[in-house]
Amino acid sequence: MIRSLRAFLVRLAGSFGGGKKDRELGEELESHIQMHVEEKVRSGMDEGDARREAVRKLGGLDVTKESWRDRRGLPVLRELKQDLRYAARMLRKSPGFTAVTVVTLALGIGGATAIFTIVHGVLIARLPFRDSDRLVAIWEENADRPGRRNVVGPANFIRWSERATAFSGMTALYDWRMSLTGRARPEELIAQTVTSNFFTTLGVEPVLGRAFAPDEGPEGRDAVTVLSWGTWQRLFGGDPSIVGRTIQLNGQPVTVIGIAPRAFGFFLKAGSLTGKPPDLWLPFAFDAKSREPHGRYMSAFARLKDGVSLAEARAQMKAIASSLTAELPRWDTGWTVRLFPIRDDVSGDMRPALAVLSGAVGFVLLIVCVNVANLLLARGMARRQEMAIRTALGAARSRVVRQLLTESLLLSILGGLAGWWIARAGVALLTAWSPVDPTVLARIRLSVPVLAFAVLVSVVTAVVSGLAPAFESSREGLADALKEGARTGGGSRRARRLRQALVVAEVALAAVLLVGAGLLLRSFARVARIDPGFDAKGILTGRVTLHGKIYEEDERVMAFFRGVVERARALPGVKTAGMVSFLPLAGLGAATDFTIVGRPAPGPGEEPTTDVRVCDNAYFAAMKIPLLKGRLFEERELRVKSNVIVVSESFARQYFPDGNAIGQRVVINMSDNPDPTEIVGIVGNVRFENLTAESRPSTYWPHPQLVYGAMSFVIRTDGDPKTLAAPLEAAIHDVDKDVPLAEVKTMEQWVGSALSRARFNAMLLSIFAGVALLLAAVGIYGVMSYVVGQRRPEIGIRLALGATEQEILRMVVIGGARLVLLGLVIGVPVALVLSRFLSSLLYETSRSDPGTLTAVVGALGAAAVAASFVPAWRASRVEPVEALRS
Amino acid sequence: MTEKADKTDVWQGTLALMVLKTLEAMGPLHGYGIARRIEQTSGGRLSLNYGTLYPALLKLEQEGFVAASWGVSENNRRARFYRLTRAGSKQLKKETGEWEKTTAILARFLNPQEGR
Repeated sequence: MIRSLRAFLVRLAGSFGGGKKDRELGEELESHIQMHVEEKVRSGMDEGDARREAVRKLGGLDVTKESWRDRRGLPVLRELKQDLRYAARMLRKSPGFTAVTVVTLALGIGGATAIFTIVHGVLIARLPFRDSDRLVAIWEENADRPGRRNVVGPANFIRWSERATAFSGMTALYDWRMSLTGRARPEELIAQTVTSNFFTTLGVEPVLGRAFAPDEGPEGRDAVTVLSWGTWQRLFGGDPSIVGRTIQLNGQPVTVIGIAPRAFGFFLKAGSLTGKPPDLWLPFAFDAKSREPHGRYMSAFARLKDGVSLAEARAQMKAIASSLTAELPRWDTGWTVRLFPIRDDVSGDMRPALAVLSGAVGFVLLIVCVNVANLLLARGMARRQEMAIRTALGAARSRVVRQLLTESLLLSILGGLAGWWIARAGVALLTAWSPVDPTVLARIRLSVPVLAFAVLVSVVTAVVSGLAPAFESSREGLADALKEGARTGGGSRRARRLRQALVVAEVALAAVLLVGAGLLLRSFARVARIDPGFDAKGILTGRVTLHGKIYEEDERVMAFFRGVVERARALPGVKTAGMVSFLPLAGLGAATDFTIVGRPAPGPGEEPTTDVRVCDNAYFAAMKIPLLKGRLFEERELRVKSNVIVVSESFARQYFPDGNAIGQRVVINMSDNPDPTEIVGIVGNVRFENLTAESRPSTYWPHPQLVYGAMSFVIRTDGDPKTLAAPLEAAIHDVDKDVPLAEVKTMEQWVGSALSRARFNAMLLSIFAGVALLLAAVGIYGVMSYVVGQRRPEIGIRLALGATEQEILRMVVIGGARLVLLGLVIGVPVALVLSRFLSSLLYETSRSDPGTLTAVVGALGAAAVAASFVPAWRASRVEPVEALRS
Repeated sequence: MTEKADKTDVWQGTLALMVLKTLEAMGPLHGYGIARRIEQTSGGRLSLNYGTLYPALLKLEQEGFVAASWGVSENNRRARFYRLTRAGSKQLKKETGEWEKTTAILARFLNPQEGR
């Protein structure tokens, strides 16, 4: 056993680099013959006879060498090597064909690999938690509110965790912004405040230090924190001695007790208040007051107990939720609970787009296969004589097929290598453009499974595209091929049919992709044209969050913001400087329910709701949000609590459809005992959440009525707004040197990122469609050139019989157009069926948008005419005599 | 012509055994020497195709039963010498035993009266 394994390994090694060993064998045999000859001569034989005799006894030199070589290496490998060497020679001999094929393959393999890299990172790669398939996200749901994932109220969460038995652990968290001070420059960090069992529930061990102890969290305990890997690296240079040291957060000392693993970033955008992944974690514990319903703002997760299925857990939580509705009717009427596997939430809303892109890249890959098959077929025709001769010389058909497959395999390997490079560039580009959040991106990289995928795709491509041509080429009758080969062109009807069918398939596939891309582009154009309700040009924004003891006084908070705004207004180049509590298109904002004075109180769960923003008059001016009716705030109202609000047009229209909103009074539940406030003005609608969602009813409050410690500055200038970033920060530090400025961005950048998803999808699909169109054109060109070449004698006769050049031209172009027409007849209906999968990505665009369809038909038609024009022109220039003679 | 009928072709497995035995008896030897020796030992009754000898030697070498190195022959000719390795002697002993057992069985089988 071991002996034969040893022999196998020696032979495997012996399969490579045989030149020296061959020479040695030659020498050995030569000395053998010499000895043989000498002996015979000694016994009186003639030297010539002796030599002949010696060679005969050896059974012929070459046969011996051959069987020796077979024994030295592995014959299969030797044949493969032969095939490869031969294939390489063939490819070198026709560099044009090789280049076109390799580039085509690289586009397909590279594109597929790039998309798979992302699919793998988002949907397949292991999440950085232990047994991540046992983890679920828990959300509340209210049928009246949009989305199925509403953040969770602590009062409900406490009751769930007391009653649910389906879980081995339940954890809740909320995120907020903190200031890290005591360093050269204050820094804003995102903190996730988590129940102390957070790390144990997720099954994550810190790489340094420890996780939270079960009793850590309640007020009065020593403040501790676990840092994310990124924060540790970025702010503390990866210094391990940071564990055990104290940092200043919001002016309080907090001890660092651990560092989270690198891959661990726990962030679900759906439940995030800051919209950003965490920089550190802090423990907290619910206190007696948390039992009182007071708001929904947490994300909740749980680990399923062993043996409990998701369906069982869902049923149990549903039951608990309905009993809570009975117990807390004012709070829980209309609310229920939903559980999702954590994977669903992590990949979130990328799923539909990824599915579409995977489908699209699959189509591209198919077109690539078809195109390469077509190219190989064309070459096969040109090599019929060669194949026939090889068969005549005794090559088995299987050997010829193997040879041809080796060639396409070699092409695919070259294409795969080039494709790998394309994939790397593609992934870099995709991650730079993509609207995906950074914690997911961290997992998107070229990895072993991705490499395996690329190899698999290459090999499958090779076999799929090489098989038909290989069999087609080897099936030719020997005599036929040689006979036909004597004449020009050649090629059976069958082969021509096959090639035309391939082109029709290609056009159909391209049509599907073009329709998809066209729809997304149209939808993107519509989204880009949406008026957000403000003018983003020339605006710089930056956010500040005040923390610490001194800002517990409202007066100090207002003074700080007033001070900064006054200094900002004085900066050179600044036209207006205002502030607002929540910027549009920049994340979540506050919302609450309210009642209208003078109308009957609505039942529980039926109160009207409104967004709540705190701002000054300059905010409207800077954003160019128009005042439609009434007035803005008076100077006194911006300094002293006066109970006045400005509302959005949508608010006025929805709740006061008679147009009498001004002067009405509403009670908005932003505090425990809210005063009625009077509506003094109506301003234009602003798209807040995203560009495509209708703007919701909104109310704007002056600062004294609702003091916010977190505000965004909005500064309008005539020049480049980015140049104001440093002066704005200086102005802030002039008022308080410990306050960090965060998320400094132009308003156009915010709008751009709101568009990024639509742009990303449209752009990617357009690239794929463009490649598909190009490949289809190449395919049409190839087939038409081939057909023209084949019909040269016939065209010659036609010309000789008096056909004009235009007639020939038209004949060939129509031949090409017919293929395209057939492709469209198949492709467009398929596209219309498949566009179903696009509907979730489309905005105000019909799946069967006639403009898009017309454009697709036009583009493919133009491509067909262009691609068949050159061969047609060549056909029309055929010299009749020459064509007939050849 | 008649000569041919008397001579027996050597098949692979047996050839390997003969090679090993020859090397054990003669010490290191080149290919031609091995071939001649086998023919002589058989008393000229074996017709060895010398061409089959070299792949057989290569196989033994790959299995590690013989080792080869270049040396100089009795006639001052450069030649490749094969010698038995330790694994080779062990293999020879084992195969000899097996061969004897097989021939003994066959002998009894073919001449049943002799055994009784």
